[in-house]
Amino acid sequence: MNNTTGNNPADKHLVDRVLRGDTRAFGIIIKNTENLVAQIVFKMIPIAEDRKDLAQDIYMKTFHNLAGFKFQSKLSTWIAQIAYNSCLSWIEKKKLMLPGNLQEDEEMYETTEARIYNNIAVGSYSENLLSQKELSGILRNEIERLPAIYQTLITLFHHESMRYEELCQITGLPEGTVKSSLFRARKMLKENLLSKYQKEAL
Amino acid sequence: MNNIHPYEKELQQYALDKSDSNPEVIAHIELCPDCKAEISTYQMLFSEIKEQPAAAFDFDLRELVLSKLPKTQTRLSTDDIIAGFLIVFTCSCIGIPVYVFRKIILNTFIDIPPIFIYSIIISTTGILIIEILSLYKKYIKQMHLLNFN
Repeated sequence: MNNTTGNNPADKHLVDRVLRGDTRAFGIIIKNTENLVAQIVFKMIPIAEDRKDLAQDIYMKTFHNLAGFKFQSKLSTWIAQIAYNSCLSWIEKKKLMLPGNLQEDEEMYETTEARIYNNIAVGSYSENLLSQKELSGILRNEIERLPAIYQTLITLFHHESMRYEELCQITGLPEGTVKSSLFRARKMLKENLLSKYQKEAL
Repeated sequence: MNNIHPYEKELQQYALDKSDSNPEVIAHIELCPDCKAEISTYQMLFSEIKEQPAAAFDFDLRELVLSKLPKTQTRLSTDDIIAGFLIVFTCSCIGIPVYVFRKIILNTFIDIPPIFIYSIIISTTGILIIEILSLYKKYIKQMHLLNFN
């Protein structure tokens, strides 16, 4: 994910083939990008049954708008942007609450923060008492408790190794907002994890 | 050592990429066990996120989408038409003179010693095989690049 511009000859070749009517080439585009789309859809859409229709809708939009793609970004970033916007529209259409209610999380965050500092102050922080598997499970749960936008940004930045400008392009948020959201997400995650870690260890 | 602990933002920046941090922050963190512990937590967190299993659809998305798309209609592009024309033109340029002057061509080969003809055939075949192999390697490399495999 190092190249943020759209100068990828393989992408250009594939897009050209699709525009010439070769739907098989579109299958290759799906294969190359479906993991990234899944990361976004899974973080944004809590209802498993809706994900199938939504994923299909994302790629139908991609197919019908491909002629308008000007290679000003990577093809995968452009498709991720369609996925993100489709998820937002879907949530709005279904009148869903975004997974991980922000207000609830802020309250939980304040409580956890106080608890962690108390624990640290009495020196109760203990290391290596959880197995890697347990830690991974706890982390997965903690990520799921974050607001959807935080989950998406954390996953795209740390798991998919995307850069700030790509995240801005996908979400349509200014760089400052992306950076501060990532900062808060990491802080919440760290503190929630520390709290859970101590609970388990005790 | 500066006794003021860095801001959380600076700790995160250090954990993400030490080289982007302020030298004063780096100097403090390297001598402060509390900050070092914070950094270790963040680094463990980042590495755990990276290790989390990636989300994946439990259905064949490609199959699903392709079945909804209009049927394949490969229409000829200008490039295809030009390529076709060039192939026909080249074949005509070679084939017609060979057909017209076939008797003269055959007569020229009669006087040549067989060993000379064999050496021409063998070297031509050798070059052809090398060229085909290099073309095939290039094709495989490009297909791999495009993920056609």
